Amino acid sequence: MIYLQLFWEYFKIGLFTIGGGYAMLPLVSQVVIKYSWLTERQLADFVAVAESTPGPFAINLATFVGTTVGNGQGGFWCGLLGATCATVGVVLPSVIIIIVITKLLDKFRKSKIVDGLLYGMKPVVVGLLGSAVLSLLCREILPNLSTKTYTYNFDGFSVVSLLLVALFVPLSKVKFKGRKVHPILLILFSAVLGVVLFGVVGVGV
Amino acid sequence: MISILQEELVVRKKWISAEDFADMVVIAESTPGVIAVNTATSVGYRLRGVLGAIIGTLGVILPSFVIISALSYLINTLQDNTWYKSAFAGVRACVIVLVLNAFVNLGKQMDKDVFSVSLAVISFALVSFVNLDAIGFDVIYLIIFGGIVGVVISLCKNSHTNNQSDDLPLQQSSDLPNEEEQQ
Repeated sequence: MIYLQLFWEYFKIGLFTIGGGYAMLPLVSQVVIKYSWLTERQLADFVAVAESTPGPFAINLATFVGTTVGNGQGGFWCGLLGATCATVGVVLPSVIIIIVITKLLDKFRKSKIVDGLLYGMKPVVVGLLGSAVLSLLCREILPNLSTKTYTYNFDGFSVVSLLLVALFVPLSKVKFKGRKVHPILLILFSAVLGVVLFGVVGVGV
Repeated sequence: MISILQEELVVRKKWISAEDFADMVVIAESTPGVIAVNTATSVGYRLRGVLGAIIGTLGVILPSFVIISALSYLINTLQDNTWYKSAFAGVRACVIVLVLNAFVNLGKQMDKDVFSVSLAVISFALVSFVNLDAIGFDVIYLIIFGGIVGVVISLCKNSHTNNQSDDLPLQQSSDLPNEEEQQ
């Protein structure tokens, strides 16, 4: 049943998200593609919305995916049920772990095993994130190219997307009064640019 | 969010000490999941046990839960709108940069030894160039694999260091290179 799937998959995601909210992205991507819940493009859109709404990005993303999957099944209440399954699923592993280890805090803090786990898991997550960047880049800039199926088709090259990415790399590093500019501002700005530039050029499929 | 939590809980309400809060952030960083939520859970548990942990967690996720549930309706209805499509085509370029920055930041946190770098490269190559979905290979297996190998290597390094220092006579320890300092 889809709600159990949502819960279980998000439970696994919550258990293996190491290294910050974005580390969740490759795991979520894998799941939504596997069950055909979302396209990668929709997921990218959701990432932006999740960044722009209050609350932790990763949780927002889980709620968003859950709501959308639920909405696909039925109306508002299905969406709510989906959101609950995903959100509870994603936080439950850490809640359980924290309750368990707080009692063993000292042992945990000095634990070589925990250090070892993090030491080994971080590189994998770095690799996964790198792959996510590559995948997103390909989808937006060279939509007919796929590294997985080895179709190196350069048609449909989107100059606009490439330029936007190139623009936002330095833009995201800009500091205002010593603090980095908040992602939501970047997202809003990119939305405006999108309307202007893609309104003229037209959005590819 | 951590700074807001600290401001509220340590400074304003004085429910926990700064040291305890720092402990909780450490736990939150080393456990899977989102730091913000983990800190809330940790504090909740410290203050009121299991019930506190649950309530703290619910509190932190509820606002976004409500907002996103409402927002997803808007998104659903707008998806075929041309303005929406154009705007989000631009937004997706920005998202690429956000994920890129997350990648770079985590890469900076990662140790730069042979093991870590090779593991990162292998993971990257595997996920980018092999159709894992087709063979049903879950990337979680990669993460687990990394964790296990990381523990093994970490424990080996440790016992090696311990053996070294056992051999060093006290007075001459300054002449011989110290394993730990080299790392």
